[in-house]
Amino acid sequence: MGKESEKHLLSPGVYYLQGSQACTEGAITAGCRVYAGYPITPASEVMEHAALRLPQVGGRFIQMEDEISSASVLLGASWAGAKAMTATSSPGFSLMQEVISFAIMTETPLVIVDVQRPGPGQGYITTSQEDVMQARWGHHGEGSIIALSPASVQEMYDFTIEAFNLAETWRSPVLVMAEETVAHMREPLTIPPQNQIEILTRKKPQDLGIPPHSFLPYGHDIVPPMANWGEGYNVNHVSLVHHEDGNVTKYDRKTHFDSVLRIKQKIEGNVDHISRIETRFMKDCRHVVICYGSVSRTAVEAVMEARRECGIDVGFLRLVTLWPFPETKLREVVDNVDTVFVPEINLGMMKHPITEALRDRCKRIVSIPTLGCLHSPEMILSKIYEVAK
Amino acid sequence: MKRHPMLKYLKEKGPAGPRMPTIMCPGCGAGQVLNYTLHAVDDILREDGIKKEEVVFISGVGCSSRLTSHYLEFDSGWTIHGRALPIATGALLANPSLKIIVFTGDGDAMAIGGNHFIHTCRRNLNVTILCINNGLYGMTGGQVAPTTPAGIATTTTPYGNIEEAFDICKMAETAGASYVARWTTAHPRQTIKSIKQGVRKRGSAVIEILSQCPVHKKASAVDMLRELKATTVSIKKTSCQPKGKTPIGVFCDKNKPEWTEKYQEIITQHSSRENR
Repeated sequence: MGKESEKHLLSPGVYYLQGSQACTEGAITAGCRVYAGYPITPASEVMEHAALRLPQVGGRFIQMEDEISSASVLLGASWAGAKAMTATSSPGFSLMQEVISFAIMTETPLVIVDVQRPGPGQGYITTSQEDVMQARWGHHGEGSIIALSPASVQEMYDFTIEAFNLAETWRSPVLVMAEETVAHMREPLTIPPQNQIEILTRKKPQDLGIPPHSFLPYGHDIVPPMANWGEGYNVNHVSLVHHEDGNVTKYDRKTHFDSVLRIKQKIEGNVDHISRIETRFMKDCRHVVICYGSVSRTAVEAVMEARRECGIDVGFLRLVTLWPFPETKLREVVDNVDTVFVPEINLGMMKHPITEALRDRCKRIVSIPTLGCLHSPEMILSKIYEVAK
Repeated sequence: MKRHPMLKYLKEKGPAGPRMPTIMCPGCGAGQVLNYTLHAVDDILREDGIKKEEVVFISGVGCSSRLTSHYLEFDSGWTIHGRALPIATGALLANPSLKIIVFTGDGDAMAIGGNHFIHTCRRNLNVTILCINNGLYGMTGGQVAPTTPAGIATTTTPYGNIEEAFDICKMAETAGASYVARWTTAHPRQTIKSIKQGVRKRGSAVIEILSQCPVHKKASAVDMLRELKATTVSIKKTSCQPKGKTPIGVFCDKNKPEWTEKYQEIITQHSSRENR
């Protein structure tokens, strides 16, 4: 794809942008040069900005005939050596699940942005966190996934770059689980100098001195090096249960178990390298609010007010990465509390892995659900007050 | 014993053991199509100065798609049922210099992947689509396909098929493909020539190859090949199609702009010099 010119990347400085545009700019900065998409509210702005920007940096944009083909494009683009992305919203995300499963099995780096809207069905076109379980469990079969949860325009930019870095590092599909709130929000975005942005690319057999005749497309390491099409490595990408060399006819139970376990473990076994949390006011707190995405903006206000106005000793914990679930990190900071409050824009989804992680670390878990809109700080505050007073 | 000249393009074995024999049933036409395709590619590599690593094979799921599973000494992807063409689209967007050959079947291309087939032809993307049409779903046990003739009994039409069959070539031409042809497994030289023309064509080339499934049709492969010859007629030899016969030949061979070529103009116009 050639060396990217900085001329058409946003130059360092402060911009006032929509979250969707920041997402596309982050992708371009990360090196995304193929974008495929299909229109859907409230995600279309990511795609419209990609249609404008990709050719300016020598990339290619295509509007496909549906979400299935949009996600499929990313597979071919990634194998041919490009960093590739699509963005969609919840109904379209449902249609992409087969591709996600296939990308897990073929260990294909790609990025899917889900600007979540409420469901089921057409639901509504406002904000939502109702796909956080679909992100992890929507695809068929075993295999893990990486999913990030941005909470600001700045993070739509930063996390999209991080998503590409994670995809390339772990040879995995990576999901940016945005919400309508952050996609449509406008606020300042700071673009740092290019040399301060970390951009990672896939490990290739050429870099490791592995010649084509001894290359194993699914071997050599827990994250196998990846040869691009067109480089003479005769790579056969297959999603049937396969040996390290890609052989699919010699089936045996051990190969099946070992190969799928490796694909799952390369993510789950590295959860501490991949997943992040953020905390505030956690020292010796009696209660804690655990949240993610745009809810963390409201929740931190509620926590500060509860501490300041009501004198309630409540801490704040935000899941930056939803999947793989950072259980160990949660258990490191939540030791012995009375109440864990979990405000979510769904009827209580991430509450379940949180409950599992903190099963012996708290007296009760209190879900604070809402649908289709952000919580007001009062919604969270009144629940904290009711339980903790 | 003399080795088959096309074995040089196949992975007979690897570190995990042998990959041969192929999964194809005895008498299946897919192996013939692979043979014709490799002959065509062999000629092109020698005649056109194209490097072997520029040739990529992609397929979806089904009997025809198994050709791409793990036998080819080429870059390849054995992918998702119906999605070979969007995946080829992605590869072309990433690297427009690739020569992409898609193996697909009548179910893969016309049913689950029908929409992608239409839109790939409409965009006139530079891809050669080899659709092996055996008139049924072989891999899953002989169910009815969109290409099964009306009246035929299959495992899912036990009382006979009440639907009309798709005409793949008419669909391809209407949708906008640059090159459209139909042959059968009983026409090796013509098929090889067409595949070469298709790969050399800038734009979408669709070559339908009528094929035999001796297992699910419960007939001998030799009889079925004879039948393929007897029930088809060259469009060169006849101006009006005899009743009950399927026309074969090159239906369409046009020169028109290809998607990545047109997009390159946008890149050239709107990017800085370093990005072109």
